[in-house]
Amino acid sequence: MMHLLIVLILASGQQAIRPSGHQIIRVTAERFAFTPSEITVERGTVIEFHLTSDDTDHGFRIVGSEVNAEIPKRRRGETVIKYTADTVGRFVIECSRPCGAGHTSMRATLVVK
Amino acid sequence: MSQLHSFAHWKSAILAVFTCATLSAAQTAPAREGVPTLSGYMEVHLNKEQHRPTEADLHRFVLMVGHSFTDRLKFWSEVEIEHAFVEGAEKSGEVAIEQAYVDLMLHRRFNLRAGMVLIPVGIINERHEPPTFHGVERTFVDSVIVPTTWRDTGVGAFGDLGRGFSYRAYLVPGLDATGFTAEEGIAEGRQQGGHADASDPAVTGRLEYRQAGFTAGGSFWAGGSGFGLIRLDIETPTVTVGSIDARFRRGRHEARGQWSMVHIGGAGDLNHALQLQSGNSPNIASRLLGAYGEWATRVSPDRWTHEVVAFGRYEVFDTQNKMPDGFLKIDALRRSALVVGATYFPDPDVAYKFDVSREWNKSEGVRGPWRLNFGVGWWF
Repeated sequence: MMHLLIVLILASGQQAIRPSGHQIIRVTAERFAFTPSEITVERGTVIEFHLTSDDTDHGFRIVGSEVNAEIPKRRRGETVIKYTADTVGRFVIECSRPCGAGHTSMRATLVVK
Repeated sequence: MSQLHSFAHWKSAILAVFTCATLSAAQTAPAREGVPTLSGYMEVHLNKEQHRPTEADLHRFVLMVGHSFTDRLKFWSEVEIEHAFVEGAEKSGEVAIEQAYVDLMLHRRFNLRAGMVLIPVGIINERHEPPTFHGVERTFVDSVIVPTTWRDTGVGAFGDLGRGFSYRAYLVPGLDATGFTAEEGIAEGRQQGGHADASDPAVTGRLEYRQAGFTAGGSFWAGGSGFGLIRLDIETPTVTVGSIDARFRRGRHEARGQWSMVHIGGAGDLNHALQLQSGNSPNIASRLLGAYGEWATRVSPDRWTHEVVAFGRYEVFDTQNKMPDGFLKIDALRRSALVVGATYFPDPDVAYKFDVSREWNKSEGVRGPWRLNFGVGWWF
């Protein structure tokens, strides 16, 4: 079995942030939704996203950030992304790889408190 | 010589299949913002129905084009060629726009959609890429009760309500009741966006719940369907479609089921009016009912990346479930079927399919046929 592991460590920007914690969040993609579709973390949390798909390959893009990764197809491994949630707000996560009839509505929300 | 020629055609077709699969595997980078995207799917079928000739058919060739104008403004489209070609007035294929809409993303809970939209009823109509369902053909329920692919021009809203709930709701033109039939219900009444008469509008929507491999949905369509009868002195027929469905996947097992009902108000008057027009009563029912349950299990070992899935499905599809006063049921159209088969996925986006189906009906004189189907479908 082929395992795919992509680790993207993203710098937390100019602002010095002391991480308030580390959290592993598992997200499953399937036409045409992410599960869970809402993720809430505290500001400063280092999120380790573990991304898998139940069908085709999908994209995982946090709008307004540099995160835009591919989620491999079903049973082709997982993508792991580390992301520091350093800004309070609501951020849209969208599928960035065409995946079918409902592609444009495949979205989730990251809430940073 | 002709055999060699024929072999060359098949060789080209097979190469085309594998070329598409290779492109799919190689095309791993997510789409770049602002750059139009191209994707699509195809289905090739070989069907043998009892007492009928074997038929080979490039059933669907679909290209999808999308574009993000901005993060909040997105376009999506789906153009389909059915049965390989379209020619004059002969019975052949069709070229159709199945989707073409613009989404305006306003808020997680409320976004706007306008254009040609898919009617959000049932499982298959919105999730019809070949690797997403087992069986060479779509379910009988999703052919004669919920007429997939069901689409129309419309405007509406969609969003994520949180806690796993999401919705879609659209305002669309109604159906043309002059196209209704006893055998296929409302299927030929779809206007499909071409000079559609919008004088009898309809509303349609779906509420969906999704959690850890489980998805359940309830959907409806309700509206008028009388504009085609405008010169006849009858009340406007009304159509209501209700459907509930659920899907579940855990480990190597999958299950799905759907229950769908169509109610046609004023079916008696409609039959009389159409009989006056054509001389024959179409015997349209006042209620159509369909349901199916399907179980599928991956039978290939865990160590294989390619998958073999065996499945079985039982369906009831009764387009004469309840008749208006004065009309008798056509028992041959009160049907059920058992479908068993297998799907081989060399890749999650490529599905080689095989199934056998046996159909029954409530008629004492007409026997339901056996069918043997082979197919390959792929998404890229």
